[in-house]
Amino acid sequence: MTATTSRDIAGTPPVPDRRRQLLDWIGLAARLVLGGVLVWAGAVKLPDLRESVLAVQAYKILPFDVATVVGYALPIAEVALGLLLILGLFTRAAGVLGALLMVAFVIGIASAWARGLSIDCGCFGGGGEIAWQEARAKYPWEIARDVGLFLGGAWLAWRPRTPFAVDAWLFRPVTDDDLDSAVHEPVIADPTYDQKETTA
Amino acid sequence: MSNQSRREALRAQQRAQAEAARKKRIITVAAVVIGLVVLLGGGGFLIFSNRDSIGAKSDVPPNANQDASGIIVNPGKAKAGAPVVVVYQDYQCPWCKTFDEALGPKFLAKANAGDIQLEYHTMTFLDINLRNNSSTRAGVAAACSDAAGVYAAYHDVIYANQPTSEGVGYSDLQLRTTFAADAGITGDKLVQFQRCYDNQSMAGFVKGTNEKAGRAGVTGTPTYFVNGKDVTKQLDYRDPTTVDKVLAG
Repeated sequence: MTATTSRDIAGTPPVPDRRRQLLDWIGLAARLVLGGVLVWAGAVKLPDLRESVLAVQAYKILPFDVATVVGYALPIAEVALGLLLILGLFTRAAGVLGALLMVAFVIGIASAWARGLSIDCGCFGGGGEIAWQEARAKYPWEIARDVGLFLGGAWLAWRPRTPFAVDAWLFRPVTDDDLDSAVHEPVIADPTYDQKETTA
Repeated sequence: MSNQSRREALRAQQRAQAEAARKKRIITVAAVVIGLVVLLGGGGFLIFSNRDSIGAKSDVPPNANQDASGIIVNPGKAKAGAPVVVVYQDYQCPWCKTFDEALGPKFLAKANAGDIQLEYHTMTFLDINLRNNSSTRAGVAAACSDAAGVYAAYHDVIYANQPTSEGVGYSDLQLRTTFAADAGITGDKLVQFQRCYDNQSMAGFVKGTNEKAGRAGVTGTPTYFVNGKDVTKQLDYRDPTTVDKVLAG
């Protein structure tokens, strides 16, 4: 019993305590940084989702109607993922989705750069066309930032157990304590139970 | 049976119940999260996607092009086979003013000579970026001026009075009175123009020109098309001869 509960919920093998603590804190930092950036990025777009639609359309990657839907959905998805990460709720799923989002952003920005589009990435509101000099100066930093955030998401996908996470409550394994407290609840026993035992 | 085995069986049943409760807890929380996201997403979409279309009527200016994506500046003048020049613009866009004042006269001269068909396609996305509605109102006023027969003149008046600070926009007084006077709208035509502006009957048309420009892949202004090809990058506002080059090429 104790052997299984001491393993973390993701089933990663037990590691020495100090290294484990360090990994925990890295995970917490990944959660808060990626989550914080996502909430911020989404929240500044919420006052007018149509601006987000324009920003997505400016990439000229997706067909018009698809870009429209993505433009509306993206800020809400960002806020939702960010909040999940900050809370540490469904950390692995949120980490995977956050990392995939960053992959999409990196592809989008790199593609805009390669095609010579001079657009604002629209990462934190804004978006649309800007001067080529300005755009070209910003693209590498935007990509570097998103690669960094991708690593945070990938870390959490690999090792989702972190301190101060709601997941610790949500996914806590059943323990003897749970059973003891369940004793007080009415238990409908198998009525044929005694019979079976006696006829055996 | 022994008390021992009985207790263990009870224990197993409790364990199964506890496991089921755990599973239910996880699924419930997941469902709440997904439900909230869908609810917020749907709500946000409904709020903003309807924002443009409220009260949009759909009168079309007399010189609108065939698919109502813009207004022909030189109706009936273009010779057969003359190239079609489309200017995508937003009346609040400073670079549109710069390009229009530098290259506009040359395009206009060719349009009046019948060498090209010139169309202005008005976009309004800066209303969203600048958090106002001046692009739409200026677009509506310009469409109304077409009904008064002075579209090209009114268009020039708007750019001549574009605020130096982006985002200040245009007042109703400017659009319905000052600019109309500057463009030479008087008498009955002025009454009709102001009625057209006041009831915003061209708002649906202007919304349409913006959306059709977006569907044509135009995401910034100014953008110049010649016969459906984007030539913006070949145009230099400091060198009006680039107009001849893009028309020749």
